[in-house]
Amino acid sequence: MTWRFGLTEATFEPLWLTHWVLAATLALPILFGLLGALFSPRRTLPVALVCVPILLTGVLLLMEYQQAGLLRWQWQVAGVTVSLRLGGVSILMLLVTQWVGAAAALYTPGHLRLTNPGKQARWLWPLMGVLISALSLIWLAADLLTLYAALELMGLAAVGMLLLSGKPAALQAGMRYLLLALVGSLAYLLGVALILGYWGQLNLQALAEVVEPGPVAWIAAALIGAGLALKAALFPLHGWLTPVHESAWTPVSALHAALVVKASLFILLMLWNILLPSSLFAPRFVAWLGMLAIVWGGLVAWRSDSLKTLVASSTVAQLGYLMVAFPLIIGPDIPPLPKALAWEGFWLQLIGHALAKAAMFMAAGNLILATGESSLKGLAGTSRRLPLSLLIFGLASVTLMGLPPSSGFTAKWLLLQAMVMTQQWVAVVALLMGTLLTAAYVFRVFRYSFDETAPRHHYQPLAPSMDLVALALALAAFALGLLAHLPLALLQGGGV
Amino acid sequence: MIASFNLIEGGLALCLCVAALACLFDRHLLRASCLFVVFALFMTLAWWWLEAPWLAVAELILGALLTGASLFYALRAYRPNGAASSHRANATPHYDSFRGSWPHGLTRALLALAWCFMMWGAIRFVMPEMVYSPAEHPLVMAAVVIAATAMGAFALHHHLLRRLLAFNILGSGVFLLLAGMAGTEEGAQALISVGLAIAWLGSLLGALLIRHLFLLEGKNALSLDSQTKEQPQ
Repeated sequence: MTWRFGLTEATFEPLWLTHWVLAATLALPILFGLLGALFSPRRTLPVALVCVPILLTGVLLLMEYQQAGLLRWQWQVAGVTVSLRLGGVSILMLLVTQWVGAAAALYTPGHLRLTNPGKQARWLWPLMGVLISALSLIWLAADLLTLYAALELMGLAAVGMLLLSGKPAALQAGMRYLLLALVGSLAYLLGVALILGYWGQLNLQALAEVVEPGPVAWIAAALIGAGLALKAALFPLHGWLTPVHESAWTPVSALHAALVVKASLFILLMLWNILLPSSLFAPRFVAWLGMLAIVWGGLVAWRSDSLKTLVASSTVAQLGYLMVAFPLIIGPDIPPLPKALAWEGFWLQLIGHALAKAAMFMAAGNLILATGESSLKGLAGTSRRLPLSLLIFGLASVTLMGLPPSSGFTAKWLLLQAMVMTQQWVAVVALLMGTLLTAAYVFRVFRYSFDETAPRHHYQPLAPSMDLVALALALAAFALGLLAHLPLALLQGGGV
Repeated sequence: MIASFNLIEGGLALCLCVAALACLFDRHLLRASCLFVVFALFMTLAWWWLEAPWLAVAELILGALLTGASLFYALRAYRPNGAASSHRANATPHYDSFRGSWPHGLTRALLALAWCFMMWGAIRFVMPEMVYSPAEHPLVMAAVVIAATAMGAFALHHHLLRRLLAFNILGSGVFLLLAGMAGTEEGAQALISVGLAIAWLGSLLGALLIRHLFLLEGKNALSLDSQTKEQPQ
């Protein structure tokens, strides 16, 4: 199974050009972020110009991967081995990170121009740069030390970004998030300590060869799992998520829900795959929690009165779909076909959700900014005045609901197929219920917004770039269902 | 010779435990922060003793100096400056007067115990010799006690600064455990150094936050946090 994460030997050495591209991938976002703090751009064009080289590095790495297959790097720094690898999943998530990051960056100038948040806004750029770099490093890292450093860097940058709005509610939610994330990372570190003490390995590939199931692996997996689940807002540990999004800026929320929680989930899946290759109970436990998450998140979103709470709670439910796939991916005695289907469904769901949730947060942010109200009732009459924002919201929710031909549909189809093959009927029921609940809370938004009798308010006009970026993301999530073979071909490469 | 070495290590472990417990359960915040600096100095000695001089330097700079400075910076927020400074109420915000209910305390104590058992179980497998002669590694014993108590205190306290202190002490306990289980080879040292840097950055961010929160909302804002924590949203 570890070949799926690219933890195998590489056939070719990376070329010297590839070294530079890798360095640029990791360093350029921070560099441009610092430039952003210096110049604090108010227009979209300079931001777009800066995004081009970063996106270019991703495309170059993709081409390199398609030519040479898996790539590995290893350096000795002061006696410590740092290793990176570029496998199918890494390059896919790297591209998603760069494109969603670019979309959030392009959205930001318009948002800042309209909201006028004051001087602290310039700090958004370096934090965003650090976040993108740290995320890229997480997808590439192949040893526990690099993973830990990148995870912490990402977490601190994310907390910093969420605090920028400066409201007391944001500060309080941010403080809670900071403390929980820090304690979560200590639990992760203790798990790593166990691994290092017992097997003496930090390198994932070497670790996968020496690990044997036993109490140490279980305790380490439990500690790492608890820490990362806290950071990824997996179901019973998701309490911090909604308040954090409630008062954050729109592009920050979009980045956080799309990428930050997914990174912890990715590390969790990868490490459990190594530590618990044949455990029956742990992945089942996660799957049961995932089913509860689908129902609970859907119900909370359905009952909520605030648009942002609705979108944030929907993240809890959508993460539930990913948790349900755990026993199919890392459980024992799953036949190869359902395993491959669940693997594809997992990543398609993750990417589709990243794109759609970023679009949804942006559309919701646009609606809230234009109407000046954050409650669902405040949306009354928006169907006439803000049809484009509402259309984007609708397109994104089509993906979340999983209606054809969106990526949500394809992902759920793959997951359902795998579940039916392995006869996990409860999971099938949970998946279908989740779809119904998603439809219920999405249509609640539309019921308020199509209220034609509402009095006319004054609406704040939006910058065109804000709607365009959100629309592009929503359309990408939609089109990914039809073009699913492109990312899935990447996922299956690099081995077998 | 060996006995005297053990005596030094035992004394160091005892000092660490006492400083940690005093810091965690002192309601006077300024004194607790001073105790934290003392604890960090003891940690520096412990790293020196474990033959990791670079970690000792890192602990001295990051732990004692910079984290301590962040904590004092956060504490300055509580002192009403300017007009109010002449007033006698000056000292009150330095004191966490929040009293929790006893079931709250009991569940947190049970949590700390469970955490303690879990760590003990982990150590049993990684360091089997600990089971027969636990007194041979007093620093690891101290680390288990410190980490368990700090976890309990982190869950117990409502005051944000005390939770920040508890996090820092929990971090030190975890680093000591890491060094005890994995030794002080380069990989472990690198992990601990990264952890120390992150803990400092987190403390700095937390201190900035506490200060801003206090300036915006007053001192009530600093202990509201856990009131809402129990209800899942």
